[in-house]
Amino acid sequence: MLSTIALDTQVLRPGLCTGCGACQGLCPYWGSVNGRTVCFFDCERADGRCQRFCPRMPTDLDALRKTFFPAETILPEIGPFLGLYLTRAADPSIRAGAQHGGSVTALLELALKEGLLDAAVLTRSQGGLNPEGVLVTGAEEVRACSGSSFQVPPTLAVLNRALKEDRYHRIGVVGTPCKTLAVYKMKANPLPENDNHAGNIGLVLGLFCGWGLDWDGLKALTSRHAAPERVSHMDIPPSKYHSLELREGGETVSVNLDEVTPLVRSGCRYCADMTAEFADLSVGGARSADGWDVDKGWNQIIVRSEKGRQLLDLAREKGVLEFKDAMEGGLEKLKKASLGKKRTAVKNLREHTGSEEDLGYLNPSRPLFEEL
Amino acid sequence: MTANAPGQVCLMQGNEAIVRGAVEAGIHFAASYPGSPSSQILGMLGKIARERNFYAEWSTNEVCALQACCGASLAGARALCVVKQNGLLCTADALHCAAQHGVKGGLVIVSSDDPSAHSSTNEFDSRWQALSAGIPLLEPTTMQEAKDMIPYAFELSEAVGQIVLVRLTTRVCHGRGNVALGALPEKPRALERVKEWDRMVCVCYMHGPALQKLEELRQRFEVSPFNHYDGPEAPRRLVIAGGTGCLYGQEALRRLNAGAETGFLALGTLWPLPEAYILKHLRAAEEVLILEEVDPFLEQAIQALAGREGLRVRFLGRSGGALPRIGELDPDNVTAAIARLIGASLPEKRPAGELELPVREMSFCAGCPHRATFYLLKRAMRQEKHPGVVVGDIGCYFMAGQSAGQYAYQVCNCMGSGVNVAEGLGQLTNYGLDQKVVTMCGDSTFFHTILPGLVNATYHNANMLLIVLDNSATAMTGFQPHPGTGLTAMGEAVKPMDIPKILDAVGCKVEVADPFDVVEAEKTLRRLLDQPGMNVLIMRQPCATLKAKERSRKPVRVYVDQSVCLGDGCGCDKYCSRVWGCPGNTWDFRNNKAQIDPVTCVGCGVCAKLCPSGAIRVEEESEERNRCVPAGADLTTKGGEEA
Repeated sequence: MLSTIALDTQVLRPGLCTGCGACQGLCPYWGSVNGRTVCFFDCERADGRCQRFCPRMPTDLDALRKTFFPAETILPEIGPFLGLYLTRAADPSIRAGAQHGGSVTALLELALKEGLLDAAVLTRSQGGLNPEGVLVTGAEEVRACSGSSFQVPPTLAVLNRALKEDRYHRIGVVGTPCKTLAVYKMKANPLPENDNHAGNIGLVLGLFCGWGLDWDGLKALTSRHAAPERVSHMDIPPSKYHSLELREGGETVSVNLDEVTPLVRSGCRYCADMTAEFADLSVGGARSADGWDVDKGWNQIIVRSEKGRQLLDLAREKGVLEFKDAMEGGLEKLKKASLGKKRTAVKNLREHTGSEEDLGYLNPSRPLFEEL
Repeated sequence: MTANAPGQVCLMQGNEAIVRGAVEAGIHFAASYPGSPSSQILGMLGKIARERNFYAEWSTNEVCALQACCGASLAGARALCVVKQNGLLCTADALHCAAQHGVKGGLVIVSSDDPSAHSSTNEFDSRWQALSAGIPLLEPTTMQEAKDMIPYAFELSEAVGQIVLVRLTTRVCHGRGNVALGALPEKPRALERVKEWDRMVCVCYMHGPALQKLEELRQRFEVSPFNHYDGPEAPRRLVIAGGTGCLYGQEALRRLNAGAETGFLALGTLWPLPEAYILKHLRAAEEVLILEEVDPFLEQAIQALAGREGLRVRFLGRSGGALPRIGELDPDNVTAAIARLIGASLPEKRPAGELELPVREMSFCAGCPHRATFYLLKRAMRQEKHPGVVVGDIGCYFMAGQSAGQYAYQVCNCMGSGVNVAEGLGQLTNYGLDQKVVTMCGDSTFFHTILPGLVNATYHNANMLLIVLDNSATAMTGFQPHPGTGLTAMGEAVKPMDIPKILDAVGCKVEVADPFDVVEAEKTLRRLLDQPGMNVLIMRQPCATLKAKERSRKPVRVYVDQSVCLGDGCGCDKYCSRVWGCPGNTWDFRNNKAQIDPVTCVGCGVCAKLCPSGAIRVEEESEERNRCVPAGADLTTKGGEEA
């Protein structure tokens, strides 16, 4: 099948697209508008990087994992695992603009300063809105990208363009699970005759993710509750609060989650990855059994690779991150939450395909999901 | 065209023969709107108008043209109106009213039909308008007849006080043949002051007199020199032909060697039917084949005549299955029909050559600004949440419905329809239709029929975007001047109409963009799509052919750096030649890379802006280079013979 038609019929039309941008920045055929992936014209190639990189085209996840991670480190619930840590940025000025503990910002600044990376592809948003992918080349540019975005921008289009340019040779990437999966698909170099310099991909930092929201929907919702241009921060507190919080000029506006859940991107309903299993380090907000406020300003970090461990060790050594003893049962809680997302995805995929047997894009990895 | 040399035989195109006929008829007035296949007629008349002391104009549309001719007729002038099939239909109201009130000075309409729609969107048959309006209809077969019928038509028109319709078809307009010239009038007939009690008023009680005129015409047609019969006195098998079919029929009878026993009746006066003349040959016939272009007009009329007379005749023709129901006649399908009529086997046919011509789709010319506009429009539409509706219109840009314009539009009615169809859709956006609505028109079409629709859509504040493709030309039919150009058919410089000013006065929101500035133009386009109400975007960039005509050499040289070109690889897949699709962007099959055809390329450089790998280069042409290379040629091609 022609590449553009394959993506259109198997990913876009069925509502599986994550909007990650992996298909973009490679050619003139794909683009994105307000989080919507757009095919401008049809490409007539039988195969192409767009469909090979897409995280929602069938992927043999087991094989991909084994390519990059030792089999013995892989936990079925949360993927490759070398350790779990609670951290936060030591610099309070980083924490001030951070979503949780500012660990990702601190780690990236460090990696760029130390030359572990010569550039990084990040997402910059204004209080969670109007996000865009950016290529930063210096530590001082990283902070502008602190904080989560709740709309989903095609950040990987920026990565693809940077790789094509071949100007930077250790490009770090920060992204949600769909994006980091796509990055590992790129690293696997599926079309060797045109690898787009995938060897220039450096450290990959994954972000825990529950779901992203529809671009226009969130814009409209924000406008209903606040002046969008004055919103400086968004967050979803633990589920018992059942709310989305908007910070508007220092004040917090709480929006009932029932208003928010209908805006979840359709593609996120089929996502089976909460912890960004394809990454060197995966980072999320810390959740303490003693209540949200206890660990509110902290991150939990899963170390997945040796490269990831080295960066974390360096951060400890340089005093860039503060560490805290992981709470008891933290790993089990994380596994449970991660499995919960997998279960929902499998259920939704079965509904979507209309068959118990057919898990759509996850099919090549059936053994992993069989028991769910 | 204006030589007074009676008897001299000249090789003429059908359109030229019409012009010569008009000159011999001593016309005072000619008006037309361009339309293939008869666009050349008024172009030529405009050039000789001063010399022959008559007035000629490219009217803003066909209604203007016909009604201006009516005015001229009231002053006793001989007026010629030239239209194509669609143009004639445009005039339908004016035509029917004029047929009822009649004319004073001779008024002849030449309407050219385009069977098989070589340069049209349809193959309507003009002849029904004669039947419907109740006016006489002539159709020439040869170039000589085309010339001779014009003075004849004017004489008829003045004799009975009625408009005369002369129908042409593409092959007559564009074919060439010998024409023996007639004499030119010594001096033009003087105009007559309009008298107080002169009347050309359409009122119902004129219907009766109009019908009487038809009866009078029928009597004249019984003895018309434009009807001929060849063959046995009382043929069992009869071929009746009108128009182009006559020559094909004669040729077929010769090829089948069947002229002696088959009757052949060639009619030049098609309406009202010369009934007695036809019946004379029809009475003995058992089988009749009717040859005519497009619809079974004659077939039905002669069937009705035979029925009224109680004749038992089997009719073959357009509706009888003997000839294709659609498309133009040709020597082959006519020969096959006649062979079937007489029970002969088909003569053997040798192919003209072995070579198969490559199939090429109609497309915009190299460097055409429309290609960029429709490329941008497709991109803009794909970026909408629900891809919008694009309403087409008539002009070169009709081709945008095909790959040339990225299969741009979902609907296209007739010329000038776009703004109205879009207005309808645009109003529905207030009733739940959640799509953007876009339509377009050329600058000539803008004046032709867009204006009332523009007023309607603006007045009713439809949510839509009208793109005016301002290429400063009536390009499709051959660069005839229009009110925006500042020229007239007679070559006079006049004040051009300013489209933005008109739009401004009407009250719509107007922006101007250059389609070759692809980035900015797309931004402007998308911004206007987001604006409610009636928006107009003028895409301004002169027609590439017009520009090429105006300069002797290309300003730049465009070429592909094949070491950078991705070819059909991932990341490009022949973006320039396959998607952008300019005829100048071709494919080098030897190297599997893109290349520029230096002969076709006009140097607009847009493809260089779109190439995903920056492989297309635009270089200023150096003086030296231009000295060495003949205009229009390039070092990499073989020079022309003259070079």
